[in-house]
Amino acid sequence: MSAGAKTTPALGPQTIRQHEASQKKGLDHVAHLRDILSFENENSNVIGTLLEELAVPHRRTERWKYSPVGGFWKEHKPVACVTIADSACEAQPVPGLDAYRLVFVNGTFDPSASDLPIAAGVVCMPLSEAVRSGLVQREISSVERSDWFAALNGQFAGEGMYLAVEKAVELDRPVLIHQRQQGAGVPTFLRHVIELGAHAQAQVVNWSSASSDASGSVNTLTEVHVGEQAVFTLDKVQDESGEVHHLAFEAVDQAANSTFKIHTMTIQGAWVRNDLQICLSGQGCDAYLNGIFLPTGKEFVDNHTTVDHREAHCTSSESYKGILYGQSTGVFNGKVFVRPDAQQTNAYQQNANILGSRQATMNAKPELEIYADDVKCSHGCTIGQFDDEALFYARSRGIGEDEAKAMLVHAFIGDVIDGIAIPEVAMEVRHRLSEKHDWDRWDDANLL
Amino acid sequence: MLTINKLKASIGDSEILKGLDLTIRPGEVHAIMGPNGSGKSTLASVLAGREDYAVTGGKADFLGLDLLEMDATARARSGLFLAFQYPVEIPGVSNINFMRAALNGKRAHEGLEPIAGKAFLELVKEKASLVELDGRLRNRSVNEGFSGGEKKRNEIFQMAMLEPKLAVLDETDSGLDIDALRIVANGVNSMRSSERSFLVITHYQRLLDYIIPDFVHVLVDGCIVRTGGKELALELEERGYDWIKETVTS
Repeated sequence: MSAGAKTTPALGPQTIRQHEASQKKGLDHVAHLRDILSFENENSNVIGTLLEELAVPHRRTERWKYSPVGGFWKEHKPVACVTIADSACEAQPVPGLDAYRLVFVNGTFDPSASDLPIAAGVVCMPLSEAVRSGLVQREISSVERSDWFAALNGQFAGEGMYLAVEKAVELDRPVLIHQRQQGAGVPTFLRHVIELGAHAQAQVVNWSSASSDASGSVNTLTEVHVGEQAVFTLDKVQDESGEVHHLAFEAVDQAANSTFKIHTMTIQGAWVRNDLQICLSGQGCDAYLNGIFLPTGKEFVDNHTTVDHREAHCTSSESYKGILYGQSTGVFNGKVFVRPDAQQTNAYQQNANILGSRQATMNAKPELEIYADDVKCSHGCTIGQFDDEALFYARSRGIGEDEAKAMLVHAFIGDVIDGIAIPEVAMEVRHRLSEKHDWDRWDDANLL
Repeated sequence: MLTINKLKASIGDSEILKGLDLTIRPGEVHAIMGPNGSGKSTLASVLAGREDYAVTGGKADFLGLDLLEMDATARARSGLFLAFQYPVEIPGVSNINFMRAALNGKRAHEGLEPIAGKAFLELVKEKASLVELDGRLRNRSVNEGFSGGEKKRNEIFQMAMLEPKLAVLDETDSGLDIDALRIVANGVNSMRSSERSFLVITHYQRLLDYIIPDFVHVLVDGCIVRTGGKELALELEERGYDWIKETVTS
């Protein structure tokens, strides 16, 4: 979590050349974006310096080893479509979900498609408005100081959601953020800022979709502060057609005895990286990080998570499950820090993967760094194939092979989907997965 | 029901079944006995359509269908059932949903609509009582954490649910205590009818005290070398397999 990415360790000449070439590509990209985007951060000078000083990731950068970033350097275009009405897409992607809604199309807030909460003790509005009215000040977060792409977000993300829930206030409905990527070569930057006071409760669903002709890139940074004893859940659903490169950072800071739950459900996306940094800054926090990813074709899905146990008596529980089809590639990197003061830590991490094809690739790396002595930490990581014995057993009972596979997949990822707190979201995730993978014959919702 | 002619099957480079002949008519119960490694379980696997085995010769006719041309799913849907020697655990799939998918697969094959929820539950209740499978086991994941006896009872429950025309029981008696053996045998006996046949593969005669066969075959080195009535099983129990091996080689 230190700004270690700034320095380049002693490297061979080839790596140094790669580093220099990458640095140039990154800064050329910044110049290109300046030409086509209107927003610039008020701290532009500081961030500009960060963008020069931080290392632009390339394949010899440890944290980016398996995540090719070349797609980000492609030519982008100025934003055209900015309303959901123009995009021929539903504003509300989750049937039956009773939720407040903020719709962003190509990074621009669409007020006509949105439905903001108006309730005592709740402030929810586009970030630009919150900054203008002085409700929030843009500061440079620690993730921006350590990651080049996060700094890039700092430079260009002028819009997003600002949500503040006051002490002891419970938001009566979930807030749905629908971010839509529409058309070719669009550069989208979003910054969401979420603050929960002590004992507050809120649920946010972050749904991202894209048109089939969509390309370009999405760079989202969500900053969350969960106050003492507050409870916050974030359900991310990524269902993007087209060729979008999607990079999402979640930087979460938890105060004492707070609870944070995140589900990251990657249904489809050409290139997706989720980078979660959870900081347990008070005693007695609970953090739950769960995710599933089922890439097909040449899709790429990367989940990087960091849980930083800074204080005692905290629990973190993490479960990521992937099934990789076609020539897809998956990455899981789960870092758990247990600092010297974090006694009585209970940290659990599981990453289980099934390779559904011979051409699929999974790169998995659990990383535990434990500096306290009275802790319980466990992790498990598996990469396997479909259980042939179970498949034959099912077939010998008259269940078709595809249906049997779908059944095993549901059994494998079902517990993660069932963990989603909002039933309508869980159901829609199942539905979309069934559609993508043609699982209509095995639909748990229709069973007993 | 089933006519097998000169069936040959191998796994890897080794030939296990070396020209096996067997005819089973409707309503008959056949027992296949034999020493370890004679090919008993291979026969069961080949009949059920396990792809690990390569069929290298011979024919198998099941109800007028070319059995060896069908995949495992089609065989099951056509009325063949294999009770596994080692039933497989499937974590995360409830026993009851598993059976519903199986039953509806068969019904679709027969051109029937999927079974309604209530009718299905009644059927489950009725069939589970045959083998004293309690509700707890019905709702648990398939075979997960079941005892050896519970797994075998679950096999017979599945058989009862699917009402096959031909049931192959692969060493269903292995790992059963005497009470479980009686429950399993009662389940099988209650399903005996003039239209349904059984092929009971066993190492020991004990099971045949409870499931009385019409024919007993002795399988040695991939071929059936002797066929008799139920008294043949008693003779084998008393004298072992060596005397048969000797008569075959001489």
